[in-house]
Amino acid sequence: MQLFTSDVSCEDRHSIMHIVGLWMATATFLGIWWGHVGVRWIEARSPDVRLPALVLVIIGLGLNLYSLLSFSLTTSGMCSIFGTTMLWDAFELYRQQKRVIKGHAPAHPSNPRHAAYLAAPNSRATTAELLKREPSDPTVGSVPSSGTMGRIAGSD
Amino acid sequence: MNWTGIALGLFSFGMIGFGFVWVIRMEYHLGYLWWPFPLLLGIVLIGGSLFVGNVGWSALLGIAGASFIWGATEMKEQAVRADLGWFRKKPGARPAPPFVAIIKKIGAPHL
Repeated sequence: MQLFTSDVSCEDRHSIMHIVGLWMATATFLGIWWGHVGVRWIEARSPDVRLPALVLVIIGLGLNLYSLLSFSLTTSGMCSIFGTTMLWDAFELYRQQKRVIKGHAPAHPSNPRHAAYLAAPNSRATTAELLKREPSDPTVGSVPSSGTMGRIAGSD
Repeated sequence: MNWTGIALGLFSFGMIGFGFVWVIRMEYHLGYLWWPFPLLLGIVLIGGSLFVGNVGWSALLGIAGASFIWGATEMKEQAVRADLGWFRKKPGARPAPPFVAIIKKIGAPHL
């Protein structure tokens, strides 16, 4: 690995700007954004999440393989960041499906899989977008809640 | 084979995971109105990544900065999750951040 071996001399240190960090930041932010917006979009429109999950796994592995073969740090890093987030997003599709079943994410009746969740007996699925509201003011005292989800924020 | 990119991808993955943890803790103890501070930290880290004398550190700072910016955008939704009872909510009032009136006027960003 050459991650920390390309130091510039002390004289050059203040005269060279590395934009590689900016590229990595862009890749990380876009990867996270896609992981939120893209996963919700795909899950809402897929009659079965297995096919899009498989596609995401293949793209993720392909990007990581390309990262291994690339000699450019920027290309290699960006490909791996996108690739790794795609691999996680494949798993995230199943977590999103669970959120819809629990009613923590809105169900879309036009999707036959979601329609089945809504029609199931004792269903907790809902078409309401519960997260689209303003939170209460934290500087004002409120009734404590024990929560039901443990400590994993991304699960909801 | 170039393993540097894979290392950066794994670091990014780890920073995102760390983001889930600190967002929950920060929202619980301080409240979502503190969102501008991780946002500023993220901007400072990305700005710093331009000026460090090593491309490796530049890459790591860029990734860390982006994850803090994302975390800042996640705090409002986390507060709603706590309001809905999906996560623990701290009893009583939480401390107001500096410039709270301006922060309330701007409104918290979210993805």
